[in-house]
Amino acid sequence: MNSAQIIIQIIVALVAVACAIPGTFLVLRKMSLISDAISHSILLGIVIGFFIVEDTSSPLLIVLAALAGVVTVILVEFIQKTGLVKADTAIGLVFPALFSIGVILISKNANDVHLDIDSVMVGDLSLAPFDPLLINCTEGIADSCINLGPKAIWVIGIILIITLVLLFMFFKELKVSTFDPGLAAALGFSPIIMHYGLMTVSSVTIVGAFDAVGPILVVALMIAPAATAYLFTKDLKKMLLLSCFFGVFAAISGYWLAHLLDASISGSMTTVLAILFLLVYEPIITSILVSLAIGTGTIFYQYYEYLVANEIGFEQLLLGEKIKTVFTQFVTLDYIYILVIAAILSALLMYILPKRGVIFGYYKVRQQKTEIMLLVFLLHIRNHSEESERHVKHLNEHINWQRIRSKSIVELALKNNMITVEDKIISLTTKGEEFTEKAIDYIITNKDTEIEEMKDDFFLFRG
Amino acid sequence: MLGSFAVLRKQSLLGDAISHAALPGIAIAFLIIGVKDSNLFLLGALISGLIGTFWIRGITKNTHLKSDTALGLTLSLFFGFGMLLLTFIQKQPNASQAGLDTYLFGQAATLLIEDVWLIAIVAGISLLILLVFWKEFKILLFDEDYTKTLGFNTNFIDILITTFIVITIVLGLQTVGVILMSAMLLAPAAAARQWTNSLGVMVVLAAIFGAFSGVVGTGISTVVGNLSTGPVIVLVAASIVFISFIFSPKRGLLFREIRFRKNRNNIKMQKTLAFMYGIAKTHENISHPHTIKILNDFQGFSKRSLQELVDFNYVKINGQQWSMTQEGYEKAANLYDQQIKDTHE
Repeated sequence: MNSAQIIIQIIVALVAVACAIPGTFLVLRKMSLISDAISHSILLGIVIGFFIVEDTSSPLLIVLAALAGVVTVILVEFIQKTGLVKADTAIGLVFPALFSIGVILISKNANDVHLDIDSVMVGDLSLAPFDPLLINCTEGIADSCINLGPKAIWVIGIILIITLVLLFMFFKELKVSTFDPGLAAALGFSPIIMHYGLMTVSSVTIVGAFDAVGPILVVALMIAPAATAYLFTKDLKKMLLLSCFFGVFAAISGYWLAHLLDASISGSMTTVLAILFLLVYEPIITSILVSLAIGTGTIFYQYYEYLVANEIGFEQLLLGEKIKTVFTQFVTLDYIYILVIAAILSALLMYILPKRGVIFGYYKVRQQKTEIMLLVFLLHIRNHSEESERHVKHLNEHINWQRIRSKSIVELALKNNMITVEDKIISLTTKGEEFTEKAIDYIITNKDTEIEEMKDDFFLFRG
Repeated sequence: MLGSFAVLRKQSLLGDAISHAALPGIAIAFLIIGVKDSNLFLLGALISGLIGTFWIRGITKNTHLKSDTALGLTLSLFFGFGMLLLTFIQKQPNASQAGLDTYLFGQAATLLIEDVWLIAIVAGISLLILLVFWKEFKILLFDEDYTKTLGFNTNFIDILITTFIVITIVLGLQTVGVILMSAMLLAPAAAARQWTNSLGVMVVLAAIFGAFSGVVGTGISTVVGNLSTGPVIVLVAASIVFISFIFSPKRGLLFREIRFRKNRNNIKMQKTLAFMYGIAKTHENISHPHTIKILNDFQGFSKRSLQELVDFNYVKINGQQWSMTQEGYEKAANLYDQQIKDTHE
């Protein structure tokens, strides 16, 4: 690692944290898309600022851009308040309009200067370390400046510090106004001020991060860590910490992924974020795929390096052929290695990650089904004293179950000591009767508080 | 046209999300085939757009994350992945990658005749489907549960609408670009919504508004010169929305304000009348004159409301004195009954 690499990593980590904090609140307030709107409409602010000062590095640009962000929010709120359209439509109307004005202004007036949409829309990090903040420059004398280090670190660092200070000062207020604006108003702190405060902070953060990662990836950095953290926890503090952690993790590992693939840093950061989110959203499938990919990737990379060094003409091959050539080098041992690595990794991942997703969901539904069937079965036995109704065979026709299913239910009940079977006639044990009584209570009680206590009793019989 | 459905289904920003989500599709299509072929790009964009849409649906359905978060996630993560692929492609030797990014911002001028035909055909098909499934679409839009009880396959209809929205968006990308596509989807529908409460009229109006802004936008950008078409079209559409917001007869801000004022004046007048009634009741002769001064402390009294009362012939003014007429007396006596009746009707 050379110093430029370290600096880039520091910058992306700072950006990630600075974005994650307001992002968490945006996600909780169901306003994630505002960040998208802001990130687009600041273009207008930048363009107008550019026309005023004719200088792309002036701080006025940042101020105007942040202002444009706030204006967007106000416009959206205003349209929403009229009640003519829904909130999301209001967002969708405002930012394309502002963005269009920005684009038109550029194409109309700035054709000959270095300010095109591409450079505004797609941020680039790799040059950030070489853009130092210079102060005390004396006109005309080179090297008279005091070099304070990369500018991006200063900009994003200051924004981060302000965000953190505001967060600690107003944590309580933010929390209350996020979850219960009515209560916040009743307690005497205005939800509106909180709202606009948060919006201003988000706007400034987006502008600050914008240089480094471009507008759409700012949105990713704001929403994705927060959404991932939200799937993990419902505690606000934990959520904030987790989303910062995810952000930084994605930033650092995204940097190395970009280094490996020789692609854009912001793109790979988002890709890591996407993988993180998928891991939490669909843990089983994704962790298997990811560990397979990691396993294959390590082996692939070793052969790739080897081929680049030793095989003449390899570099000039097309991408598809390159990949083919590398894979022909694989031997059986490599595949075994990949599988072992993947198995260990995915087992580890599945252990850490929350239990959700398609496969686990299916398992859960089956469990619940069995539980309900057991209940139905017990209730049926309880309701009938006559022997003919309690015959094992009778269940098939009466409750309409297939043979295997009813057999497994009877076995489950037997295992839990709820029934006894004599001469194929089923009768409830004392435990079974108690349980059924409770179940009836459970079914006919509507109050949540009472059900909560009872739930535990039923979990006993899972599986 | 299809935008109407998106707007009414509260999925307005779907257009934005999908148009971003199409990027990795384009990039992957390029990676696989290695040449530029706009039809295959469209296919790639379509597939990744559809994956994006179903991802959004899955997230909102399976987790406690809200749809805005799901949209934002899909939008940014897909786009980020697309950027990764694009930069990766650019670093490859002998990659003829130039022009891939025109997809991002759209260039109506680069459209070929075949593209136009393709768009026309797709528009025709979607119109046909819309007509065939009109009833189903409509009912699903407004009452999903009812649709289910009627025995329609809601999932199928839902997927059908979504697929067509995605197809339209992907096609539109070439013309106006990623960022402006959402506005093209939304703005005409939002404007049309202001003028009518009927779905049929709304869809037709939205189509007209869309076509209008397209034609006018293109016209302006050719006449003025040096303006890209996309933004101009969007701005035209936005101004149509703005005009609709203000001037639409039923929901518009202007008429709402006028109605509001009218109501307020009416209430002021009625309040004054009721107050006068209270005074007049205490006298044997209801037309006994009183000075205007006693009304001054009363809220709701103004010269204007007094003048209106005179105009209605409820009150007579004689110098600084006012007196109630028989008509006014009866009107005031029935005022409360009348209002109760009005609210119940």
